[in-house]
Amino acid sequence: MNNKYDVVVIGGGHNGLVNAAYLARAGKKVLVLERRHVLGGAAVTEEVFPGFKFSVCSYVVSLLRPEIIRELDLPRHGLEILPLDGTFTPMPNGDHLWRVNDHARTRREIARHSRLDAEAYDEYGKAMIEMAHFVKPVMSMMPPDPTSLKPADWKNLAFMGRRFQKLPADDKYNTVQLMTMSAVDFLDQWFETDVLKATMSASGIIGTFLGVRSPGTAYVLLHHYMGEIDGAFRSWGFARGGTGAISNSIGAAAREAGVEILTEAPIARIKVKNGKAIGVVLENGDEIQAEVVSSSVDPRLTFTKMIGNENLPDDFCADLDRYKYRGSSGKVNLALAGLPDFKAMPGPGAHLRGAISISPGVEYMERAYDEAKYGRFSRRPYIDMVIPSLTDPSVAPPGKHVMSCFVQYAPYNLKEGSWDEKRDEFGETVIDTIAEHAPNIRDLIIDRQVLTPLDLERDFGLSEGNIFQGELTLEQLFFLRPVPGWAQYRTPIKNLYMCGSATHPGGGIMGAPGRNAALKMLKDWKRI
Amino acid sequence: MHDIVIIGGGHNGLVAACYLAKAGLRVTVLERQESVGGGAVTEELEPGFRVSSLDHATGPFSKSVVSDLDLGRFGLELLTPEVQLLGLTPDGESLAIFNDTERTAKEINKFSARDANKYAEFAGCFARIGAVLSPLLSMTPPSLDQPSAGEVWQLGKFGLAFRGLGKKDEYRLLRWGPMAVADLVAEWFETELLRAMIAARGISGASAGPWSAGTSLGLLWQAALGGSPIAPAEYVKGGLGNLTQSLSKAAESFGVEVRTLSTVSRIDFSNADRVSITLKTGESLEARAAVSNADPKSTFLQLVDPVDLDPNFLSKLRNYRAVGTVAKINLALSALPPFKAIKSDDNLTRLAGRIHIGPEIDYLERAFDSAKYGEFSPHPFLDITIPSLSDPTLAPSGKHVMSILAQFAPYKLKAGDWATNEQLFADAVIDTLSHYAPGIKDVITSLQVITPVDLESNYGLTGGHIHHGEQALDQFFTFRPL
Repeated sequence: MNNKYDVVVIGGGHNGLVNAAYLARAGKKVLVLERRHVLGGAAVTEEVFPGFKFSVCSYVVSLLRPEIIRELDLPRHGLEILPLDGTFTPMPNGDHLWRVNDHARTRREIARHSRLDAEAYDEYGKAMIEMAHFVKPVMSMMPPDPTSLKPADWKNLAFMGRRFQKLPADDKYNTVQLMTMSAVDFLDQWFETDVLKATMSASGIIGTFLGVRSPGTAYVLLHHYMGEIDGAFRSWGFARGGTGAISNSIGAAAREAGVEILTEAPIARIKVKNGKAIGVVLENGDEIQAEVVSSSVDPRLTFTKMIGNENLPDDFCADLDRYKYRGSSGKVNLALAGLPDFKAMPGPGAHLRGAISISPGVEYMERAYDEAKYGRFSRRPYIDMVIPSLTDPSVAPPGKHVMSCFVQYAPYNLKEGSWDEKRDEFGETVIDTIAEHAPNIRDLIIDRQVLTPLDLERDFGLSEGNIFQGELTLEQLFFLRPVPGWAQYRTPIKNLYMCGSATHPGGGIMGAPGRNAALKMLKDWKRI
Repeated sequence: MHDIVIIGGGHNGLVAACYLAKAGLRVTVLERQESVGGGAVTEELEPGFRVSSLDHATGPFSKSVVSDLDLGRFGLELLTPEVQLLGLTPDGESLAIFNDTERTAKEINKFSARDANKYAEFAGCFARIGAVLSPLLSMTPPSLDQPSAGEVWQLGKFGLAFRGLGKKDEYRLLRWGPMAVADLVAEWFETELLRAMIAARGISGASAGPWSAGTSLGLLWQAALGGSPIAPAEYVKGGLGNLTQSLSKAAESFGVEVRTLSTVSRIDFSNADRVSITLKTGESLEARAAVSNADPKSTFLQLVDPVDLDPNFLSKLRNYRAVGTVAKINLALSALPPFKAIKSDDNLTRLAGRIHIGPEIDYLERAFDSAKYGEFSPHPFLDITIPSLSDPTLAPSGKHVMSILAQFAPYKLKAGDWATNEQLFADAVIDTLSHYAPGIKDVITSLQVITPVDLESNYGLTGGHIHHGEQALDQFFTFRPL
């Protein structure tokens, strides 16, 4: 290792690695510094129990930008996406809702609940795809500054305005509704089946401190239609070998482009001289000089911890204070001796290969949220489960399985007690909830890992346990992400850039922030 | 043939009638009830006790309308007590917001010096943003699809005014629009009571709690209306009915024909050059245009033949959210009830504005939680006025009337109907109130409950929604109603 680089990237998560890869491909000398012993950040595979490999945090993939897969040639570097087919929702009355990728089958299944809804489902799909096409380019675009008079900003604003104008009148209204309505209000306009609305609306609340009835949650419904794998809209998938395999393939692409990657290299601070970043100091005291520092960790770690508020403008610090993290979800990873048996559809079957959603009704979802508002984890939470070992046997010993359970709501700030005291109780609540639908689950558990928002903060560097490095709510999106006036990957410290999920377009294994930031840095390079 | 027929003699219908008649058109207003007023009427609770039946203070009422129509000449007198809002806590503390910002800051200083300083900054910020937003109130929202040249010009002017705000306020405006009002007030203030008092504006009349995203919009609208974060308690002397009475007199002076007890049963558009309006009595009127002051759902779903409407428009209209959450309780009181927060008679003026019961953000949010599941709040948020303190004409000497807007009382109850729950809800309201004004029960001589169902059946408000439909981001400005 040298001690002088063009760019030092803080954090070896998927965004940091994407950022590094693009910079190195443009000829920059790049070093990535990762605090942990593994790459990937929250997109990581770890053998938590011998023989059982878990996608510890993030567990499915859909939003990884196709241009990144293409440009970095990720399949050659080991990326293989396996299909995740459908969503199975067991209901307490013994019935179920099982949507699959086969449109005709899903339609028949919905018709079992409501004929009207089956018809609306077609219309809904068409409308959503139209809007997804409209929103898609916004993902790879640098957010304009609406308060500036620079031609580049106006060009981007005008570009969006023109595209909006070209939408048919109905889609215009739908788009505005999507941006402002609650998921349930939006879906109420199309559907009457409670369990269908509950399951669909669940995607609107993931990672936010909002309920399905909170305005602003409708927008994320679109994400389901934007997931692209091999160019096919709407598919979700697993990476073979877990989500860590995604990070590893990006890491391999980066190394091939000449990036150096150092793990177990926690950073103590960013060196700033005359308002300009000039390098980093590691916790072991090593100093590394860089022309540019690019941080993929969240703003609290980047600025408050590694720079210090005293070195930053007051207004900026006040805005950082207002940036909301408040994690609302936890994760329970189970090593299983066999497959869970659901009362609503007994025995093994294809329904276990997709997502299994504990979201039996809108009121169930909303009550889960109500508890979190007052500082308790949900007694009956929303759970999104997958069993990747069914699709990818390499992640568990033969005949055994791994099950990954995303759980909401688990508020970072508890009214009573601490997460260290409540961790077990939380794990029990999750298992009890699953057992109501699959009573054999308890007997199958060989081992379990319970990650509370506090654990996500401690182990993965996600402040307040927010899986998206800050809430994805309207006032923290696009040109307001992370803070007003600093949405273009730059910061008040010269030559310090942000490239993580706290920048546009936000969290999920998307890679777009890392790529967008790299393009911005390269464009700025002559001024650096 | 008439030029214009206006359906509904509420305040908006009457204002429209006045302006159209002033412009020289022949206008007729058709009102279903025996007097005009719609939701702005004064009724007698018992002999000598008169109260504004529904809303109890104006919004504030547009000053330019008052002067354009010279309403003072027709009997309109507005009373503005120096206290805008008095917030109460169950243990007898109180916080008053005055029309005078400095005086308010002094009052807030009793709770927090930091908040007292912040309040002035907050108020200043609202005044600046309000000045930019207020032209939006008096402009016709532009069509998104095909904006006309005039609309583009209007928007351009708004854009310039927006630029004039400066970067900091520009970003504030952009950020605040979609925010939950609970977050907004928490960014500014540390005093829980003050937070709750300001946040209440964002949820008033809405099917939303302070944690609901987009509720800051209500505050911004407030800024646009009056440039202040909290509405002044503006009363109409003689009750709100006098506002519509004066409008009606003004209208007649401009030559408008106001016909009461005239229920419209159908609007027919089948002739391209005129509209036919049929009354319940079978009488038919013809006009060049009809203007409806009724809410969009009653207008199109009840008065127009569906075959005359685009099915797409109809389905959008059916999805227009107008489910009321507010009930009104009117009381005749034999004496002023003793409030814990009012220790001596000198302080009575503190009660003259609106009185806020809902001491914490969580209290307001819990009140809303019940409504989500089709129950009324056991501990509702109350917006109270005692208008007889400012206007002695409303009650016999020494006696009072009290007007309570109680939230949340959802239009659709999960168990039972409003006929069976009306009394239970009234009990919940009075019990809640008695924590702040013990002894209230002993001075009540009459009690009137107007539930959301009554709002629909007696006042024609579909779904019992006092704002003719939810004022959420997606039902605002150019998206209102559709």
